[in-house]
Amino acid sequence: MKLDELAKKIGAEVLTPGREVTVEADQVYAGDRISDLLNAAGESVLLLSNLASGHLTRVAELMDVPGICLVGRQRPDTAMIETAKEHRTLLMVSPAGLFETCGRVYRCLTGGTCSSP
Amino acid sequence: MSVVSYKIKGGDFENDGAASRCVKEQLKKVGADPAVVRRAMVAAYEAEMNVVIHACQGELRASLHDGQLDVDVVDEGPGIPDIEVAMTPGFSTASAEARQLGFGAGMGLPNIKKNSDRFAIESTVGKGTRISFTIMLKPQALYGSGQHAVHVVAQNCNECLACIRVCPTQALRVFRGKPQILDYLCIDCAACIGACPTGALILDGMPAVTDQGADSAEVALRPSTDTVLIIPTPCLVQCGAGVTPEQVLSELAAMGFTDVRVTDPWEAALRASVVEYAALTPGQRVPAGAPVISPVCPAIVNLIETGFPLLIPNIAPFLSGMEAAHTNLDAKRPMSVVLCPCQRTALLSGGPTANSAVAKPQIIVPSTLRAAVMPRLQGHGELVEPRAPLAEAERSVLQVSGLRNVLKILEAVEDGLAGDVAVLELYACQGGCFGSPLLGVEASLAAYRWNRSRTRPQSRAEAVRRGRAYSPRRGLRLDADMTKAIAKLGKINKLTRGLPCSNCGICGAPTCAALAEDIILGRATREACLRQQQNADRRNTGTTGDQEKAT
Repeated sequence: MKLDELAKKIGAEVLTPGREVTVEADQVYAGDRISDLLNAAGESVLLLSNLASGHLTRVAELMDVPGICLVGRQRPDTAMIETAKEHRTLLMVSPAGLFETCGRVYRCLTGGTCSSP
Repeated sequence: MSVVSYKIKGGDFENDGAASRCVKEQLKKVGADPAVVRRAMVAAYEAEMNVVIHACQGELRASLHDGQLDVDVVDEGPGIPDIEVAMTPGFSTASAEARQLGFGAGMGLPNIKKNSDRFAIESTVGKGTRISFTIMLKPQALYGSGQHAVHVVAQNCNECLACIRVCPTQALRVFRGKPQILDYLCIDCAACIGACPTGALILDGMPAVTDQGADSAEVALRPSTDTVLIIPTPCLVQCGAGVTPEQVLSELAAMGFTDVRVTDPWEAALRASVVEYAALTPGQRVPAGAPVISPVCPAIVNLIETGFPLLIPNIAPFLSGMEAAHTNLDAKRPMSVVLCPCQRTALLSGGPTANSAVAKPQIIVPSTLRAAVMPRLQGHGELVEPRAPLAEAERSVLQVSGLRNVLKILEAVEDGLAGDVAVLELYACQGGCFGSPLLGVEASLAAYRWNRSRTRPQSRAEAVRRGRAYSPRRGLRLDADMTKAIAKLGKINKLTRGLPCSNCGICGAPTCAALAEDIILGRATREACLRQQQNADRRNTGTTGDQEKAT
């Protein structure tokens, strides 16, 4: 699924655009530990996390991750936004928490209704 | 070869991933497969962050050569008191600050190991830690690319065909007066080297002796106090009756080799570990009822990976004695290794077991060692009481040597007929390593002399676990396109039926089926089969005779 479409469907705000118009992801991994995220990261994986720091964007760049979704309305610092912009990683922020966001993304990717309750 | 090095500052969380990014750029330049880049990045980032989290400073060095990426991360830091505990997933000593940032999950070292083909770690408390790992850029390139240790000296071949008859995996052909080795079948057992009477097949690195005289590139012994010399046990008993291994060792010391490591203790440690491994409950390791196979002989491991893929889970996950002796060496020290072919490939191919942190060893053939030591030996040593008998546990080990016997045993194991055996120790050479075709003294005699010597292990040795699992070798592919491959297979079968099927070997291929395959794959022509030619001639003369009669 295209990431900007997904962002719209789960009610997330896109802060930085991705590499191309057609940034897609077909897998999602959620976690708050860098090692776990690193292990799951890949070029078609969307990372969901509470970690609003530049480390996450740098990991995303190393692993060619197309997009990151921060959860719980977190505002990333400007450094994180800058690195995401620089590496052209799509960065979005979901209003819901990690669990809830996972649920919404799951419903979207499996073809169910995605609107927030 | 390209080398990058990057200094890493401890506590510098703002520049995380910078060193790994350098490695990534290098990998992209050589066009590495994205999956390989991914594995390399996980391992490199984890290793880099270990320095940032735990150490004062460090350096990441990465080198690309011979189709592999070697990374060394050395730091000055507190060191790791217990590496085994540190390797446990989830164990971490990271600071609260690091954990806040999402680090310190205790998955760093396990992640590096999981994503690399070879992994080594050494650490001194109060000084620092060195992590080194290797990632193969193309795992499949390991085979089928001349990665075997047998060297062909074509001009010496007199087409006696002894090699094709002795090769247990039918890897040899002699077409147009030149021996050819099919890489994907060669298991480095060296049987052909032993069978070749004219020196057309030799150990790679051995000086070729031709009509023009000996190859000038002969490697001489270069004794020096900082060189480590690794010697397989049988090499110590090659200097004639009454010359004890101690005498050979003391002569080597007198020549300047102060650090000589005989592989015997590593072999003993391997045997003990394999026996221990076999005693685990069958659920924890191999299918119940099947014997555990010791990886003592690299040629046998190759054989199983080539021809007995079903038995791969039965091989105990350790390095062979020679490989273990080669691991855990100080990276900076030069090293000389006296080798047999099977071990040579395992150490030099950059394969799963190679220790890239250690400098590539200088290879010495056993005869060079013997020639250097023999003239120095004076007088005879004293032979003493035999060694202690086998420990109780080691009686459960069944030793089988010689490839013909080994093949029969492996078939029996595959058929489930050896369930009563706990541990199998298989050797490609008749009489075990003492029977290597590169050694002069007859196997039983050499073993007898060794068993009666009083040489005891000088160094403590431990079995070393393999970093990477055994995997079946990619066999022959008739064609990359499956449809074409099936068509070729049909042609081969049809052609085989048309050949005499006497397997005479005169054509230079070991069997008629092998020749059919060679013809279809373009390695040989139909004219190679003399018998078919004779038959055709006979038929032709027959017809002319009839015609004459009719006229």
